[in-house]
Amino acid sequence: MILKMSRVRILGPSEKLEPVLGRVQDLGLVHLVEPQETRSLKILGLTPEQAHHVRSVRKVAQNVHASIALLGTAPRGGVTTPELTLARAALIAGRTRRQLEALDARRLDLEEESALILKFRPFFSTFRKISESGLDLDGIRVFYLVLRDDSEQEVRRVRVALRETLGDGFELLSQASESGEAAMILAVPKESGAKAELLLSEAGVQSLSLPDQFEGESVGTTVQRMQARLAALPDELAGVEAEREGIARERGRDLVQIRACVEDHLATVEAMEKAAVTPRAFVLEGWIPTAAQSDLERELQKTFGGVVEVEALASEEWLADTAPVVLKNPRLFQPFEAITKMMPLPKYGTMDPTPFVAVFFPMFFGITLGDIGYGLILASISLILRFRSAPQSKTRSISEIGLACALFAIIFGFLYGELFGDLGHRIGLRPIIFNREEAFLPFLGLALALGVVHIVIGLLLGAATMFRKNKRHALGRGMAGLMVILIALALMAAAGMLPERFFTPLVIAALVALPVLVIGEGVLAPVELVSTLGNVLSYARIMAVGTASVMMAVVANRMTNVFGGVVVGVICALLFHLVNFALGVFSPTIHMLRLHYVEFFGKFFSPGGSQYQPFRHWSPRENAVEERST
Amino acid sequence: MENYGLYLSAALAIAIPALATGWAQSRIGPAAAAALAEKPELSVTVVLLIAIPETVAILGFVVSVLILLGGGG
Repeated sequence: MILKMSRVRILGPSEKLEPVLGRVQDLGLVHLVEPQETRSLKILGLTPEQAHHVRSVRKVAQNVHASIALLGTAPRGGVTTPELTLARAALIAGRTRRQLEALDARRLDLEEESALILKFRPFFSTFRKISESGLDLDGIRVFYLVLRDDSEQEVRRVRVALRETLGDGFELLSQASESGEAAMILAVPKESGAKAELLLSEAGVQSLSLPDQFEGESVGTTVQRMQARLAALPDELAGVEAEREGIARERGRDLVQIRACVEDHLATVEAMEKAAVTPRAFVLEGWIPTAAQSDLERELQKTFGGVVEVEALASEEWLADTAPVVLKNPRLFQPFEAITKMMPLPKYGTMDPTPFVAVFFPMFFGITLGDIGYGLILASISLILRFRSAPQSKTRSISEIGLACALFAIIFGFLYGELFGDLGHRIGLRPIIFNREEAFLPFLGLALALGVVHIVIGLLLGAATMFRKNKRHALGRGMAGLMVILIALALMAAAGMLPERFFTPLVIAALVALPVLVIGEGVLAPVELVSTLGNVLSYARIMAVGTASVMMAVVANRMTNVFGGVVVGVICALLFHLVNFALGVFSPTIHMLRLHYVEFFGKFFSPGGSQYQPFRHWSPRENAVEERST
Repeated sequence: MENYGLYLSAALAIAIPALATGWAQSRIGPAAAAALAEKPELSVTVVLLIAIPETVAILGFVVSVLILLGGGG
C-alpha cells in the first residue's frame, strides 16, 4: 500500500533556521519542498558567495567519489583525522584523485603493452631463426602476419600468391602457434613493400605492427627485449597495485569521512535553498508520513521548546498528485515491490499493486512451470542467492521472489503429478487436477478463468481508484468488470459447463449492463470492452508456455531410450532438462511480467508518483538503495 | 492420410503467426537494442515491447491445438 502522507510546515525565528535544519536532518523524516512565495515570504536561495562555496564543495564531492570509485572496494583501515577543514578535504580529495588516475593510466598502459607483446609471442621462434641465420635486413621491409588457419595448404596458398606477385624476391618464415593460428614473417625488398601490402590486404591476411619501442631494433634484440618486458610486466603491475593499496590504507578512512561530510553539507545547503523567510522568521515545508508526524513534533518541541512550531496543512491546501510516494507492505510482500518499482511509481492516492503482484505473479509462474523437480532446483538456487545477498539488495528481493515462485511450482507439480516431466507418472505420482500432457482444454480453461479473475480484479481496483475523482467513470469501470464476468459465464453456459438455462438470463443481463457502461465510460466503452476480452485471451499464454515446458521435459525423458547407450541417453536427457529448466524459468518470468504490466496494470495503474526522499544524513547504503529504486 | 487437411490447417495456424511474430520481433529487436544503448533504464519497456508480438504466436498455438482436438477427437 501507499503510505498516507501529510504536508507539514515548520516555523521559527530566522536565527534558528540552521539548528532546526540540523535536527530535521538528524531525524530524516521530512521530504522538503519550496513553500509558496508571497509578498512577505521569500525563498531564501543562495548569495553569490554561498553559490561559489557550494561549487567548491561540489568539486570536492566529485573528487572524493571518483577517488573511492578508483580504489574499488570500500576503503578500510587507516587513521581518521579528527578535524578536517574544507581546504584540507579539498586538498586530500584532489591529490588522491590525481594520483589514482595516474596509477590507473599506468596500469592500463602496462596491460596494453603486455597484450601487444603477447600477440608477438608466436613469432619468437621465427625471430630466433632469422637472428641465427644471419640474414641482413638492411633495405628490407618486414611484415608480421597471422593466419587464422595454420594448415600447410593455407600457408602454401599465401606463398603461391606472393610468388605470382613478387616472383622470388621475398622470404617467408612460418610457425604454428598454440592457438591454432600460423605466425609468419614476410621479408620483402623495400621497393616491393607497397605491392606486398596490397596483396595481403586483398587476401585478408592480418598484419601486426611492431610496438614503437621496438622499431628500428635488430631482430635478435627485439625478441630479447620483448621477453625481458614480458618477465618484468607482472612485477610492475604488482607495484602499481601495491601503491594503490597504500593509498587506500593511508587515506581510505579520510576519503570516507570527507564523502559523508561533503554530501551532508550539500544536502544542508540544498535544504537551506528550499527555506522561505520573512524579515524575522523562517518557514520550511515538506512531506512526512502521517504516522511519523507526531514524532517530528515531539522531537522539535523537546529540542527547541515552544520557539519552533510544526503545523499540518489541511488537505485542501495541497494537490495529492504532488505528494511523494512511499510503498509500505507486509514483510511477505516486500520483495515484490521490486517488480512494482520496475515501472514508474504509482501516483499518490492511487493503488499500490504490490500485494496483488505478490499473490498472482508466483501463482501464475507456478501454474506455468508446475514441476516438483524444477521447483526444487529453483528453490535451491534461490536459497543460495538469498544467503549470499545483502539485506534489502535487489538480489535479495529476486531470491525471495524466486523462492515464492519455486513454492508454487512445487505445489502445482504435485497437482499435475509432474516431476521432471512425466518421470513423476513413472514413479507413481498421479495427477490430482489434470494431466497437462493430455488435458489441453481443461488447462486452457484454467488459464482463461485466471485471466477473467485477474482482469476483473484490475477493473475493480480501477473503479476504486477513480471513485473519489469521478464517480461516473468509476461506475463505468465497475460495469466493465461485471460485463466480463457475465460474458464469461454466458460462454460457459453455451459450452455446457453451466446449466443451459442460465444462458439467456446472462445474455440479457449483459445487454442491460451495456448502456450503463456507455453512460459511465463514453461511446468508446464497447470497443474498450472488446479489447479487455482480448486481454483475457492473452492469459492463454499460461497454458501455451506451460504445455511447451512439460512437452520438452517429456522429450528429455524419452532421450534415454533413443540413443544407443543408456549413459549417453541419460547425459543427453540431463542436458536437455537443464536447457528446459533455463527456458522454464526465463520464459514464464517474461510472460508473467507482461501479463501484469500490460493486462493487469493497464486497468488501474496510474504511474507518475515521485520518490520520497527525506532530508537526512548521507549514507552509502541508502544512497545505493535510492539509486537502484529510481 | 485422410486427415492431411486437418494437420495442414493446424500447422498453418501456428506457422503463420509464428512467422509474423518473428518478423515483428526482428523489427523491434534492433530498435530496442539501440534504445537500450542510449537509455539502459528502458529495459523493462523493451522486454515488454519484445514480448507483445508473442501473443499472436501463442494464440496461433491455441488455435492449432483446438483444430487438432476438434478434428481428431
